Amino acid sequence: MALISIKNLSIGYQTKGGLLKAVDNISFEIEQGRPLGLVGESGCGKTTIGMTLMGLLPDNARILSGSIDFQNHDLTQLGEDQWRKIRGKDIAMIFQAAMNALNPVMRVDEQVIEAIVTHKPGISPGDLDKRVKELFDLVEIPRIRMKDYPHEYSGGMKQRVIIAMALACNPQLIIADEPTTALDVIVQDQILQEIRSLQMIMDTGLIFISHDIAVVASVCRDICVMYGGQIVEMGTREEVFGTPCHPYTKTLLGSYLSLNNEWKVIIPTMRKAPDLTLKSGCCRFAVNCKICSNAGTSGIPSWINISKTHRALCCSEGIIRKKK
Amino acid sequence: MNMVKNSSLIQMKGVTKEYIPRKWFFSKDQSRVVALNEVDLSIKKGEIFGLVGQSGSGKTTLGRLLVRLEEPTSGSISLKGSLINTLKGPSLKDFRSKVQMIFQDPYQSLNPHLSIAQTIGEPLVVQGIGNTRQRRSKVLHTLEIVGLSPGQDFYDRYPHQLSGGQRQRVAIARAIVLEPEFIVADEPTSMLDATIAIQLFTLLLQIRETFNMTILFITHNLAAANYLCDRIGVIHEGCIVEVNTAKKIIGDPVHPYTKKLIRVQPCFDFNRG
Repeated sequence: MALISIKNLSIGYQTKGGLLKAVDNISFEIEQGRPLGLVGESGCGKTTIGMTLMGLLPDNARILSGSIDFQNHDLTQLGEDQWRKIRGKDIAMIFQAAMNALNPVMRVDEQVIEAIVTHKPGISPGDLDKRVKELFDLVEIPRIRMKDYPHEYSGGMKQRVIIAMALACNPQLIIADEPTTALDVIVQDQILQEIRSLQMIMDTGLIFISHDIAVVASVCRDICVMYGGQIVEMGTREEVFGTPCHPYTKTLLGSYLSLNNEWKVIIPTMRKAPDLTLKSGCCRFAVNCKICSNAGTSGIPSWINISKTHRALCCSEGIIRKKK
Repeated sequence: MNMVKNSSLIQMKGVTKEYIPRKWFFSKDQSRVVALNEVDLSIKKGEIFGLVGQSGSGKTTLGRLLVRLEEPTSGSISLKGSLINTLKGPSLKDFRSKVQMIFQDPYQSLNPHLSIAQTIGEPLVVQGIGNTRQRRSKVLHTLEIVGLSPGQDFYDRYPHQLSGGQRQRVAIARAIVLEPEFIVADEPTSMLDATIAIQLFTLLLQIRETFNMTILFITHNLAAANYLCDRIGVIHEGCIVEVNTAKKIIGDPVHPYTKKLIRVQPCFDFNRG
């Protein structure tokens, strides 16, 4: 059984210019111990999904439709009181900007203690001390640094503390929202190794959100590619990155530079940002899509199954299948 | 590779830059932070030189020294054989017209109160080039070069009406409007998505072709440097540890730090079918 299943989820932001559908009709499931990666550009709705799963949407956001099934609860129906019991305990988040996610006037270990005590008020001081030390060992921060303040830590160490806080209550689902974006390559490599090995040890569910396809590929086995609030292609990482089908996935992969860039780099000609005010169900990529502009398709895409696990959302079934 | 590329445009000899941390009442001895340590570097005319290193390695400091946003503690920097450390008054102003910089964050490097036309036109005004009409046509022409076309559409807009990629194009336009000889691009794409970044790389390559400009490209992304640059220098804790052609640096690295950088570069090996 899936750990969490999201069905037909749509989320909108009320703005002066009307309702923006930041997430449009998204469905996916996460299995325990099978990390899922959400990849896409800025503004594609990946962080909105992460925030929804934490119950942290801003005031002007609204869940328009759909359900999120987690432990026999529909998370979309929860009130703030119920969220407080789940947030941090069952679902935890590793935030992007480690610099801003820590309280600068609190010692680091107190912040981890706070995360534990909030959900286990009755814990004995001995157990608490043991658990905190365990967590610092787990993320490989020397115990003598536990009493430091955040400004005494480097960027990578701060990110490790954030990870320790997320793990504090043994959550079943961890959402990692661009956990390495602010770090340089060497520290990024260490943090990714950390996340991979911890995920293995703890065997939790993991949603890994990033704009960097290589980072996602190194952590996740299943990949969802997002564009303009829609998932446009999903499958295992070998399928999505090995034999991409959706024109956007191809653009994304083609513009990624890596050292063993055997395939040719494709310079994308994308000019227009996706229109988020479009009616639900319309293809958001159509304005930039060569297939659509050539063939004059309906603009209403449907899911095309390529294999048991691999599928793409596109208006032109013929072209997706032929390219395979 | 043409002949011109063999003559060096920028020469750095024994350049050291130290920062002295602010003194506090209770602090005891003053330790200095050595951002750059005895750096020797020459950049050839017409090449794109990549400077790669981790955060805190001194790569941005080096870039800022070359455009004289900072003064070196010791050592000499010269542009086409003439020292830039001692420039003053009119000769400094002349130097500024030859050397330009593209900053990392297009959300902070553009003045929100100035329209795109004012932003790009400002260097022309400062240098006293052309009259109003000539400046207008120069700005429009530059907008077209950087791919903001039709230029008329962007001329009167303000930065907040543009996306991150478009803003960075404006920053590039501002840097090339004087047709300088040397541009320092300090991580120009680290804030942008991959699909936007690759378009900007192509733009930089085009600009180099058109104006025969020399570009110092500062980045922490070896793959980007490999794509864009003729030669790459690897900087580590204020010292340049290895300089070679991009091909050699990637294919046959010598210094252990370069090897480490290559190893941690994220890449995925799912062959495209």
